[in-house]
Amino acid sequence: MTDLSLETAPKREQPVPGEPENWRRFFSFSTDHKVIGIQYMVVAFVFFLIGGFLAMVMRGELITPEADLIDRTVYNALFTMHGTIMLFMWTFPVLNGLANYLVPLQIGARDMAFPRLNAVAFWLVPVFGVILMASFLVPGGPAQAGWWSYPPVSLQNPTGNLINGQFLWILAVALSGISSIMGGVNIVTTIIRMRAPGMTFFKMPVFCWAVAAAQTIQLFGLPALTAGAVMLLFDLTVGTSFFDPAKGGDPVLFQHFFWFYSHPAVYVIILPVFGIFSEVFPVYARKPLFGYHFVAVSSFVITGLSAIVWVHHMFASGTPGWMRMLFMATSMAISVPTGVKIFAWVATIWGGKIRLTTPMLFALGGLVNFLFAGITGIMLAAVPFDIHVNNTYFVVGHFHYVIYGAAVMGIYAAIYHWFPKMTGRMYYEGLGKLHFVLTFAGVALNFVPMHFAGLMGMPRRVASYDPEFAYWNVLASLGGFLLGVSTLPFLLNMISSWIQGEKAPANPWRAIGLEWLVASPPPHENFAEIPTVVSAPYGYGKNEPLIASQASTELASELS
Amino acid sequence: MSSVNLDQNLNTAATVHAAEHHDEGEHRLFGFIVFLISESVIFLSFFVGYIVYKTSATDWLPAGVEGLEVREPLINTIVLVSSSFVIYFAERFLHKENLWGFRAFWLLTMAMGSFFLYGQAVEWAGLPFSFTDGLFGGTFYLLTGFHGLHVLTGVLMQGVMLGRSFIPGNYDDGEVGVAATSLFWHFVDVIWIILFILIYVWQ
Amino acid sequence: MNIRVLLRLAALAGIMAPISLWIGQLSYSWMPEPASAEALLVDDLFSFLTTLGTFIFLGVVGTLLYSVLFQRAARYDEGDGPPIEGNLTLEIVWTAIPIVLVIWIAGYSYKIYDEMGILGPMEHMHMGEAIAAPLTTQASTEPEPIEVHARQWVWEFYYPEAGVTSTELHLPNNTRAKLALTSEDVLHGFFVPAFRVKQDIIPGRKIDFEFTPIREGVYRLRDSQYSGTYFAAMQANVVVESPEAYQQWLHDVAARSPQPGLNPSYDEYQVKVENRENRPGWKTVTPAPAPLVNFPGSPELPVPRL
Ligand code: HEA
Ligand code: HEA
Ligand code: CUA
Ligand SMILES: [Cu+2]
Repeated sequence: MTDLSLETAPKREQPVPGEPENWRRFFSFSTDHKVIGIQYMVVAFVFFLIGGFLAMVMRGELITPEADLIDRTVYNALFTMHGTIMLFMWTFPVLNGLANYLVPLQIGARDMAFPRLNAVAFWLVPVFGVILMASFLVPGGPAQAGWWSYPPVSLQNPTGNLINGQFLWILAVALSGISSIMGGVNIVTTIIRMRAPGMTFFKMPVFCWAVAAAQTIQLFGLPALTAGAVMLLFDLTVGTSFFDPAKGGDPVLFQHFFWFYSHPAVYVIILPVFGIFSEVFPVYARKPLFGYHFVAVSSFVITGLSAIVWVHHMFASGTPGWMRMLFMATSMAISVPTGVKIFAWVATIWGGKIRLTTPMLFALGGLVNFLFAGITGIMLAAVPFDIHVNNTYFVVGHFHYVIYGAAVMGIYAAIYHWFPKMTGRMYYEGLGKLHFVLTFAGVALNFVPMHFAGLMGMPRRVASYDPEFAYWNVLASLGGFLLGVSTLPFLLNMISSWIQGEKAPANPWRAIGLEWLVASPPPHENFAEIPTVVSAPYGYGKNEPLIASQASTELASELS
Repeated sequence: MSSVNLDQNLNTAATVHAAEHHDEGEHRLFGFIVFLISESVIFLSFFVGYIVYKTSATDWLPAGVEGLEVREPLINTIVLVSSSFVIYFAERFLHKENLWGFRAFWLLTMAMGSFFLYGQAVEWAGLPFSFTDGLFGGTFYLLTGFHGLHVLTGVLMQGVMLGRSFIPGNYDDGEVGVAATSLFWHFVDVIWIILFILIYVWQ
Repeated sequence: MNIRVLLRLAALAGIMAPISLWIGQLSYSWMPEPASAEALLVDDLFSFLTTLGTFIFLGVVGTLLYSVLFQRAARYDEGDGPPIEGNLTLEIVWTAIPIVLVIWIAGYSYKIYDEMGILGPMEHMHMGEAIAAPLTTQASTEPEPIEVHARQWVWEFYYPEAGVTSTELHLPNNTRAKLALTSEDVLHGFFVPAFRVKQDIIPGRKIDFEFTPIREGVYRLRDSQYSGTYFAAMQANVVVESPEAYQQWLHDVAARSPQPGLNPSYDEYQVKVENRENRPGWKTVTPAPAPLVNFPGSPELPVPRL
């Protein structure tokens, strides 16, 4: 907090025109939001590969019923680290990276509100990443209590060491929380206070709305997780009794703290992806976003509802019947603001002039996958059915469908869509489409069978299982390996296009938005002159200027 | 685009730049408020935990502990709460550009905050139970300790602001640092009032 | 024109409805064969959810597919689509439809939950008190519940009427099974897929749990709440037999002298300790040794019936 008040306004130099593309700044403590955005995304992707690699080993273990490939303790450590890495080191950072890169450009600002805080928040990511990875080296191995770290299992410490995997896990998650709160303060302040003249809230792109809604969740949710983590840490290290039933503590209270944050956290992931969908569909369907106001505001309705549904992760836990019924109703209510968005996107696409580029394919695939996962989510919210499938592979199938099928695919859509803007180069369409086909098929093959295994009663977090589940697990493992392969064309595409791709014009997609009015990649302080916004976003087919001083004829020539 | 109406652009660019500069301080204050709202949720969580434990635990007080002494903490509370008024006057003096008045009242606030910390240290030293003595011991030290950490932070921030007041021209750009510190102080006070009611009054 | 739209929608619904109903019927076969009264109710709910879900999925994906297939931009067409920004009526309608659906789904789920009544009274109990307090409030005619003890990583069952212990759960058919769930160390979960019932077991509390088996046979009880290293091995068989056979079993077993029960996790741990260098792994909590019981039960897996 002192950081904020001590931060003296950095007297920023005027940009040096034509500054050479300098690779070193990506490895430095840069305060440019565009550099930080790319740093976030690249670091996050490295951790995605690591987390995915752990998943490959897990799927290797699960291809046969016996626990034969790795020891049970190793398996338990793997899924704990896989879940933790994928959420805290991949999805949150990569989305923060996108928000960092796009929000100032889209609202017409030169940078984020607090550039130095921004850099500090980013550099914490590799720090806690290293702490997390280091836990593979301590005696006793990494945390093995799952990404929920429910006590009392998380308090059992067979080696008796003070510095154990669970300790490092809590430390890393706490640092991740601090970094995310810094990011949240920064992004919310930026969106509320740094918009260009004329950019009212209802002229703001939906991506910014969605990011604001998501970051609001971080701000009210993370502190609850931090509180729970602090208490868990004291139980683990100094021997307090908050969650330890042997000493009179209450393990269920930890579950409430955990899910009060970790349920809303799933909307921290999906809301920006909704924002991406809302940006991508209008461009490649050449139509304005249908029902802009509804789509924009519904994000905040989701934010509000997300705070009152957390008990749906605890239906089979120590919860009385009235609580189950209450949270069943609130959980299902989320389908209303979400449905509004889904139908709006369908109506946006309907009757448009559709172009199936790679980003459009990923966005469409993500939308279909999200719909499927949302429907299984509503099923899970129905208490009697959830009682049966809770803690089975049905749940694992549900959330990988949302997180991989919708969120990761949405992130891919964003990366392809803004790749020319970020790098000044075009990617290769062919490789992109190959990547899409492999990903979409891989998701289906990997995660659909999990639903069936779960319905039959296969528990999650098991290294061995009864032979009756073997069929579905073989399919899932093959799908998992296919997903692993699917990342190869992506990597190849990104690296080779960045090095030697065709040079990208300012606006290769003829898209409407402030970020497309500046060069690719944008100059140091984004805008030579802060634009004055005069019309709503997504004005496709209306031929009206987006900013003042830009005559419509000029716009037309700019777009062609 | 940038070639259109060059001189007109230069004009607007100049005013925009000035406006941007003026806003910086306000951005920081705004960001700080957002941060404080977020921070309050940590306290809220601890409070909820305390209430749940107190209403559900079977052996709440550690063996041999009857309850808490209220007198000294009450004095402490009065000092801390009044310091909120003192810091307000300090801010008023700064507004009127009376630097010495500001420094005097600011220093008084720091003294009152330090007194509170001292009083709490004395209380802790005299208590018959420790952090690991059951749920009551745990939540008591957790809440008072976490709050105490905030008081300490507040006093340190005040020290920095006091030092800065000697830098010539420090307030030309407004008094964001002072406003933020004072806001933080009020926040710490309000938290303490809730905490006092929960722990000492509701026994 | 409006009529034509309506007719088209009706035709579409006419195609989608039978498909959804068919998948809804199919969904019964995705579950294990139901073996409790609760299972029948849950399967009905799941079929209903599947039917509705399929209908929504087909509706949305069908529309998308139509657009993607037939509304593509021509090769050199750089133009824009019609600048339609919204339609208030439409937006209100598609906000209202999910609201109605949600009320329907939630109401139906509530009804099913109510009928199941799988949990005994679970009013807010003071921590620790539940275990200490004798069951004075319970009517004395009620049979005492079977005690289910979970510990890392073995199940143990105690039948108070006969004073019998086992590591295989026996239940009389067509009789309301009453269980009292307790755990000695960490969270565990009581889960029998064929019964569709599940409840976390929380150390320091005693949780009453009820359901009604309706089909004789052998089923699998699985730990459903992750409990550490040998979590996956913490399983046991559940034998549902006629009330007469059950009484006979209790009677027979009561006479047997205690012997070590089934405990796969402890056996596996022994093997691991003996050939340590075989596979690298980290130190684990030591599994509890096998409890002494009157009846260990059969280590054979039940044949899954689907
Ligand atoms: C990005 C991530 C994400 C998202 C968006 C969601 C979205 C939803 N999830 Fe999911 N969920 C997870 C990630 C996510 N989830 C994770 C990670 C877990 C497991 C964590 C763990 O245990 O490790 C989980 C677990 C989980 C559970 C707990 C299961 C259990 O452990 O027993 C439940 C239960 O209610 C649930 C419900 C829902 C619901 C109701 C939605 C809704 O938001 C979905 C709303 C969307 C739709 C419904 C589709 C569109 C709507 C329409 C077309 C309108 C008409 C439709 C109807 C009226 C049905 N989720
Ligand atoms: C963003 C979130 C995210 C993502 C993307 C994934 C991706 C995948 N997940 Fe994961 N998963 C979780 C979040 C996620 N998961 C969470 C939160 C849990 C719960 C944990 C818990 O229970 O505590 C979980 C649990 C979980 C389980 C259940 C474990 C259990 O309960 O026992 C399984 C089982 O199959 C699984 C599989 C996979 C697979 C196959 C992928 C694949 O899609 C991955 C595809 C692979 C890659 C993309 C990587 C490719 C890499 C290479 C080709 C090699 C390169 C090598 C190096 C750089 C070293 N996951
Ligand atoms: Cu045994 Cu969970
Ligand atoms: Cu949830």
